[in-house]
Amino acid sequence: MTIKGERQTHIFRKLMRYGFTLFLILSLNFALPRMMPGDPIANLLGEQARRNDPQTIELLKAEYGLDVPVHIQYFRYLKSLTRLELGYSIHKNSSVAGLIAARLRWTLLLVFPSVVIGSILALLLGSLAGFKSRSPTDYVLTALFLILYTCPTFLLAMLLLSIFSFHLGLFPLGNLTTGGTTGLKYVLDIAWHLILPVISLSLLGASYKFLVVRNSVSQIFDKQFVVAARAKGLTERRILMVHVIRNVLPPFISMAALSFGFMVSGALIVEIVFSLNGMGTLIYDAVMARDYPVMQGCFLILTVFVLAANLAADILYSVADPRIGGKGT
Amino acid sequence: MKSPASDIFAISYMRLAGLFMIVLFLALAIFAPLVAPHDPWKTEKPYLSPSGEHPLGTNDIGQDILSELIYATRVSLSIGFLAGFLSVFVGASLGMLAGYYRGAVEEVVMAVSDMVLLIPGLPFMIILAAYLSPSMYNIVLVVSLLWWCPTARVVHSRVLQLREMPFVEAAISLGSRDSYIIVHHILINSKEIIYAKLALSVASAMATEASLSFLGLGDPLSISWGEMIHFSFSRGGFANDMWWWYLPPGIMICASVLSFVMIGMEPERMHKTVEL
Repeated sequence: MTIKGERQTHIFRKLMRYGFTLFLILSLNFALPRMMPGDPIANLLGEQARRNDPQTIELLKAEYGLDVPVHIQYFRYLKSLTRLELGYSIHKNSSVAGLIAARLRWTLLLVFPSVVIGSILALLLGSLAGFKSRSPTDYVLTALFLILYTCPTFLLAMLLLSIFSFHLGLFPLGNLTTGGTTGLKYVLDIAWHLILPVISLSLLGASYKFLVVRNSVSQIFDKQFVVAARAKGLTERRILMVHVIRNVLPPFISMAALSFGFMVSGALIVEIVFSLNGMGTLIYDAVMARDYPVMQGCFLILTVFVLAANLAADILYSVADPRIGGKGT
Repeated sequence: MKSPASDIFAISYMRLAGLFMIVLFLALAIFAPLVAPHDPWKTEKPYLSPSGEHPLGTNDIGQDILSELIYATRVSLSIGFLAGFLSVFVGASLGMLAGYYRGAVEEVVMAVSDMVLLIPGLPFMIILAAYLSPSMYNIVLVVSLLWWCPTARVVHSRVLQLREMPFVEAAISLGSRDSYIIVHHILINSKEIIYAKLALSVASAMATEASLSFLGLGDPLSISWGEMIHFSFSRGGFANDMWWWYLPPGIMICASVLSFVMIGMEPERMHKTVEL
């Protein structure tokens, strides 16, 4: 088979895997409220629905198609998803799709800059620590990032909020905007509100990537081609910048892109602490009120989103690095 | 170049420090009734500031926070150990079977772990925990369901190396049963990796439990450190700057997770164990 053909098979296999994961998630989302003990109406519509009188419940059952066999319910469920119908939140008195549509972009606005800043931070400091392996710089940086790595997201966010907003008064205490501003002022206002949340999430993402970069860099320095570069008389700086970083970069970019799911999980918690109106606070309220339709809708949308991001990263990576998908991978 | 001796010392100092901290935490959990100054369930005046009587004040229903913190060690450590052991047991078994038998078993195990790693963890666990009733054992189940994958992958790649080695070939040619080879050759030779993964799994399980409990999905009858922060956050402790309520459990989470990470992570081989 040609190399191009092999790469196509590789991408096709990836696509199959993502497709199957999506199918699994959709089925799980369908099965969970129906498998659980108790009233499916309560599970599908939230606890409040049970307070209605029996006749209304019968009507609701018919309306939600719970009176037909399971496989027909499943096909109806898939069909409703293609129209982006995610159910109705009785608790919030609005459609789940509408709720999510209003919140998703704020979560993305938090996640994207944090992935980028966290990755750059990890790459710079990680290669510095790996380059100066076993020096005081390395020990201090590694200890610092190890502590960040073990620090729970919510604690880091709470500490930053408490120190910089509450005690020093440098940043707002929460929310996304002060309100009443337009144009450029509005954008700057949002940026000001997002600084601390983005710092929390960036540090969270950087901590894990730092440890990986530090170790790959310090290991590559033991490789033969570095010895050869030294023998040629190249400066250590040039060896790091040209020969070592180039070898760390491809796996690093893939790792950064694939950390998307992890960052989304972190963003949910950061949002709750900073009371930003994103998916995190939506899920938190839903958990508090046991508002199952909202929880399921959020889970579905976030999963689809993370799958799409990972798939894009995978395909870009296999296009950018010709070795991927060839023999031996 | 550094001498190899300094490497060994660096490793064992880090491990010893981690082990020492874990022993301290275990002692705190076991002797909680002796160490705690008050009964953690007894209610007195709520929202007291730290004083001689209550070194960390009291919470929203007037329970002594220091005693609650000491008793919470039991819950957090139990969940961490149970979920860590369960996920490593499942992960190592599946990883060994996949690596040893290869073929269809390998395809299925690797495909499933690929898929689980693709799903964003926290939303997945939230939805499972929300449907299951809030109890310690359900939290253990939910956490293990997610954390077996890293162990399975690492053990799998180790077994792939082992099964090509001469002593395994010799055992096969002597007509040993598969179960004998797996237990006496494969398992024994991957035990270092499994130990390291066990420590890291306990750390991950404790961190995950803290996040779930922070979101209010913990067991209301047995309060863990994460849940203490949840109550402090949702019942005015954080908004009123009562740092003595949320900071101590936070430090306990950090310290315990760090001690397990220090045992599981060898400085020079860190990338192998960290890579999920």
